[in-house]
Amino acid sequence: MERDSSKGSALRWIPGLRFAAPGMTWFLSAIVVLVLPLASPALAEIKSGSDFLSPELRRQQADETRNPAFFWVEQGRELFSRKPAGEGQACIACHADPQQSLRGTATQYPQVDAGTGKLLNLEGRIEQCRVERQKQPAFGHETPELLSLTAYLASLSRGLPMQVKTDGAATPYYEAGKAFFERRQGQLNLSCQQCHDGLVGQKLRGDTISHGAGTGYPAYRLEWNDVGSLHRRLRACSLGVRATQFDYGAPEYLALELYLADRAKGLPVETPGMRR
Amino acid sequence: MSFNARITMPTEAKAGEIVEIKVLTRHAMDRGGQSDGKGGTVPRKILNRLTATYAGEPIFRFDMHTGVSANPFVSFTTRAVATGDIIFEWREDGGATYTRTARLTVT
Amino acid sequence: MSSAISPRSRRSEAGLDRRCVLAGAAAGLLVSALPGRAATEPSPDLAQLIARVTEGVAPERGRITLSIPALAENGNSVDTRILVESPMTGADYVRWIHLIAEKNPFPDMARFHLGPRAGRAEVSTTLRIAQSQKVAVVAALSDGRFVMTDADIVVTLSACIDGG
Repeated sequence: MERDSSKGSALRWIPGLRFAAPGMTWFLSAIVVLVLPLASPALAEIKSGSDFLSPELRRQQADETRNPAFFWVEQGRELFSRKPAGEGQACIACHADPQQSLRGTATQYPQVDAGTGKLLNLEGRIEQCRVERQKQPAFGHETPELLSLTAYLASLSRGLPMQVKTDGAATPYYEAGKAFFERRQGQLNLSCQQCHDGLVGQKLRGDTISHGAGTGYPAYRLEWNDVGSLHRRLRACSLGVRATQFDYGAPEYLALELYLADRAKGLPVETPGMRR
Repeated sequence: MSFNARITMPTEAKAGEIVEIKVLTRHAMDRGGQSDGKGGTVPRKILNRLTATYAGEPIFRFDMHTGVSANPFVSFTTRAVATGDIIFEWREDGGATYTRTARLTVT
Repeated sequence: MSSAISPRSRRSEAGLDRRCVLAGAAAGLLVSALPGRAATEPSPDLAQLIARVTEGVAPERGRITLSIPALAENGNSVDTRILVESPMTGADYVRWIHLIAEKNPFPDMARFHLGPRAGRAEVSTTLRIAQSQKVAVVAALSDGRFVMTDADIVVTLSACIDGG
């Protein structure tokens, strides 16, 4: 293995992998192998994803006249007050004055559901409310409705620090998420940690590698031309290292979401974020 | 909710003052050409024109092709001449139109 | 598999008819045949695209400030601001501002139509730029003249694409 000669780069190209997937050559050009030894994890202060954006994009994120994700927040606000068909109540019938009553709620997700003992993220909690209390069919992952409601509820916690629980009933989920983060996986045999602890701030193609704090999600990603969930982003990560892409809401990603949220403890919620 | 618009401009201006109008639009601006899974291709569906009318005549027109981003942003200026509505009209491929208005009070 | 920009489409778009394209092509040849072109002059392809929107008239360089990042984080949405020096009076104003990306599948990106009531010939938008290339701006003035400028842009790709 040769080290890439360009200064400051810890990555090297692996043209030999080209044969592995005909027709994916341009994608493979993004694929790299690590040559840095594993850095000790989580020693550095975890930074928000927006710290790795250009100043222009960071400015746009906070600007309602520029960040398209505010359309989703607006849609979520409307849905929250809209009475569904049939007997069900609107969200706001139980959660009056959401600006106050749900302020800070998103900072505590994912959390273990007391009733079932299962780990729920914000999307999961919304769907649970919709099915069990509103007696409506679930929206489904990545539907505009679920993304909008999630973005709206998370936006009510904008600026508040993340503060998920990782003890008690959450312990096994946290441990599973941590193990997922540290485990090498996929055809590139990479762990999350190798990039998102060891190579933070370095370039990966057009991107700057971040700590993987999910505090801006659901976010408007330029790559998507759309708003998407954290799990959609994680699926892109999985694909990037050519590992198994788990389903939206899969236990693996939920546990990872909890671990990432704990890493981001103290960082403010930025939803709706803008990302590359 | 495939279309929405956020128009940002001052609500008041002095006569003769130049005001900047910012328009952010929710629209996928689908370039088309992708496979539709049935042997054909998806047709282009973008907003192809935005016209702003103020005090009786068009003051701005934005002709958009596929080189304009999804959820496009556009800004332009106009001189405040009279109190009234600025009418924004978008034309979408296929003929649909969307309209929004914003009031400018001229002092 | 997704791509930042879909492959070149064969389908022609509304707004440009064949005659217009042919006339522009002929005019473009004239422009590119002019002697003494400086290194900063547009490439023959771009010159042709410009000549098509000016109906063969060669635009003068200058009077336009084009603010576009030299390095775009993602070609899907590139912030672009254009300012044309003009008094914007009834006697002297900018009629329109046209944006061209020579290597986009459809190079004519957008056109802003202005008038004296704009007060200022300043517009901005978010563009889709398919790849690293030269972006040109042509402005039509009320006296029938045209001015232009251009800028090189490098478009990078995100490392982590969805890929379906």
